[in-house]
Amino acid sequence: MKYFLKLSLGLSFLLCVYTSAAELNVYSHRHYDSDAILFKEFTEKTNIKVNVVKGSADQLIQRLVTEGKNSPADVLLTVDAGRLHRAKSAGVLQPVKSKTLRSNVPKSMRDPEGHWYGMTVRSRVIVYSKDRVKTSELSTYESLAKPEWKGRVVARSSSNIYNQSLLASIIAAHGKDKALAWAKAVRKNMARAPRGSDRDQARAVAAGLADVAIMNTYYLGILANSSVAADREVANKVGVFFPNQKDRGAHINVSGGGVTASAKNKKEAIQFLEFLTSAKSQETFGNVNYEYPVKIKNNQSELLKSWGKFKADKVNLSILGANNAEAVKLFDLAGWE
Amino acid sequence: MAAYLIKIAQYWLRFIKHEFYFKLNAWTISALVIGLVLFLPMAEVVWHLTMPAESWEHLRDTVLGQYIKGSLILVVGTAALSIFLGVSSAWLVASCKFPGRKFFEWILILPLAIPTYIAAYSYFDLLDKLNPFLIWIRLNISTEAMALVSDAIVYPVTIIVLASVLYPYVYLVARAAFIQQSNQCIEAARTLGHGPHSTFWRTALPLARPAIIGGVSLVIMETLNDYGAVKHFNIPTFTTGIFRTWLSIGDLPGALRLAACLMVLILFLLILEKWLRFGAKFHNNSKSDRPFKPYELGQIKSFLAILCCLFPIIIGFILPISRLAYWASQTIENVIDSNFLILTANSIAIATAASLITVLLAIFLTFTSRYFGSRTINATNRLAILGYAVPGAVIAIGILLLAKQVNQAIGWIMTGSLSMLVLAYVVRFLAVAWQPIDSGMERNCEQINNASRSLGVTAIRSLTKINIPMLRNALVAAGLFVFVDTMKELPLTLILRPFNFETLSTKTFDLAQQAQIPESAVPALCIIIVSLLPLIWLNFQIRNTEK
Repeated sequence: MKYFLKLSLGLSFLLCVYTSAAELNVYSHRHYDSDAILFKEFTEKTNIKVNVVKGSADQLIQRLVTEGKNSPADVLLTVDAGRLHRAKSAGVLQPVKSKTLRSNVPKSMRDPEGHWYGMTVRSRVIVYSKDRVKTSELSTYESLAKPEWKGRVVARSSSNIYNQSLLASIIAAHGKDKALAWAKAVRKNMARAPRGSDRDQARAVAAGLADVAIMNTYYLGILANSSVAADREVANKVGVFFPNQKDRGAHINVSGGGVTASAKNKKEAIQFLEFLTSAKSQETFGNVNYEYPVKIKNNQSELLKSWGKFKADKVNLSILGANNAEAVKLFDLAGWE
Repeated sequence: MAAYLIKIAQYWLRFIKHEFYFKLNAWTISALVIGLVLFLPMAEVVWHLTMPAESWEHLRDTVLGQYIKGSLILVVGTAALSIFLGVSSAWLVASCKFPGRKFFEWILILPLAIPTYIAAYSYFDLLDKLNPFLIWIRLNISTEAMALVSDAIVYPVTIIVLASVLYPYVYLVARAAFIQQSNQCIEAARTLGHGPHSTFWRTALPLARPAIIGGVSLVIMETLNDYGAVKHFNIPTFTTGIFRTWLSIGDLPGALRLAACLMVLILFLLILEKWLRFGAKFHNNSKSDRPFKPYELGQIKSFLAILCCLFPIIIGFILPISRLAYWASQTIENVIDSNFLILTANSIAIATAASLITVLLAIFLTFTSRYFGSRTINATNRLAILGYAVPGAVIAIGILLLAKQVNQAIGWIMTGSLSMLVLAYVVRFLAVAWQPIDSGMERNCEQINNASRSLGVTAIRSLTKINIPMLRNALVAAGLFVFVDTMKELPLTLILRPFNFETLSTKTFDLAQQAQIPESAVPALCIIIVSLLPLIWLNFQIRNTEK
């Protein structure tokens, strides 16, 4: 029996992934070309091999929770502050102090205690049909709830975290009841039941099914630079409008990362985050994936510059995380699928 | 009263003595342990139902109704359309003579090679194709009418997509039932003056009903298990609800309660099926010595029959395959690299491992239960094969819970290891291997085993020298089915895959999630091609046995 136990333990060690000094294990939600390029650069520069598990952030966080202190992961990368906050409150991230990180990442884009640091910024904006909508008709997210937009709005599913964070920011600005009323009214104004990706919303507007869409900026960049002619045409037909410029500013969010609580390679993990937030890497995110750098003013991408400067909502991003579960429930109540 | 209690006690004593005194040995103990271990993930789910679920009231009051509604609409619609496509084509190829009948007979099963989520991706723009129609409504009727139509239209589209690849489950059993039907029944109906229509409605269809219900129950389980297609079309169902509650609201107990509702629904359907099938025992089941004479169809009717058989193949196979092939030809250069070869190898390796282990366990479990005639093992086996009725996402959650407890107890980390993924596949697909092996053993080996045991042959010798050689075909079929199911499996693999580990199915899903559907066609086609090979082999086998 003892022999059997030893054998099975030994076998399980072999079967489980083991880690060596010059490796870094990353759980990542991000599935963009820019990341693959940067990981490769990092390996070339430091000789540290980067192992990646891609998955939905929520599953990766659950997995970190189940694996506990035995988890092989060193870094968690994900999009949306809501998720980063969720990871922090689940206890799977550890606080990190680094002068470089603090100077690379502005205060509003990182966790006050250093559990996570922002890496890129994206804004959730109103995209409109250049043919059928005048920019003078557009003003705020709140105005999309008005009856004049009946049957003219498209947006994706409420299972999507970007929508959850947008509603979380509205909860932060106006409170629960008004946020619920907004979600209900916008759902009623929709031209079709929510479905598809952010890109599909732009396509629906270009096709003439609806007049405005709620979507993230970088998806429009991807469409404009697509290898498919029809997608470039879509990008031509629609315009970007940054809402709420006269009050709190357009809703923004970050993608970012943190060092896991169980990290065996903490030093390398910090080095990795420092590398991703360095000025040069930030430029790659802008050029390849059309995301804003965490220091929005430093933006170098021509396409992003063409959309113009904008005022961003200054709400502390960790509040979006705190309001997230509430936002999901409000969507359920509002009947926004 | 007391006498009654004593009687019960005596019965149990006898049962326990019988089961444990005579039948306890290395075989039965290991079979017992294996059966229970395979049941553990599902037991974990049931066990955790007692935990308080903070969002349950919210779920019950808001979305539970939607999930029930969405799941039921899909189940009813998909089942009805599958019956229509499957039974009509099966009746035509089984009872009528028209050009191309032999060809249709086997090509009608091919959609089985396409997983539901890949079918959905291959039709991803079907809804967009309806945009001009919707815009017409918007311009000519009203925006409200357009919103109503576009809200509702997603259901029929999803039902068509699901049924177009699931109808072969009905077709296969219905065709076999029609062929095996006693020709006395059919000919009696004919001599009593029934034409082909009333023969079908009043004799052939009622006789085939139990078989058709069996096929439909598979369609229903596949519909309820689907995650990729309903996620793609954003239809609120139990599977999407489980993912949403677990991951977005962060309420695992709530998600488990939804899973339990789903399992109750499935259990209800399984019982309903048993109950509906029970009537079959009263039907005439005598085998016919010759197949009944097929109806000769005239030119016009032949043409209609061909159309009728072509339709399901076109929507379930030719259209999806040709679209995927077109996209694959456009994107293959971007997708095929060394990584792609690795993930193909991953898929094949893990599917091979899973099917080998599943078949070995299945043969061990059925043999032990039958050879030693142990009711306990038979019962634990029945528990272990329940995994097939449980959606992959639920099994994955059960395994994660199990891993957490193992981790806390002995610090042995199981998540992210291949062994855990393989265990999950075994739990999910044991029934797939168990069914053909068990029925094969019942048909072919029971009496020989009894004879050899009375002659003093050991169990291991019986197994290796008699059972395994006699069941060779059933074993190969079982292994192939598990292999294909593992290749196609998505939700469970998504949740449990380890580091740097991608399979063809997760790659397809990831690419499709990133709105790169043309790119996802390459791994999707690989899955379909691999899944086709066993279908061709199976068809060859059926042909041989029919001769």
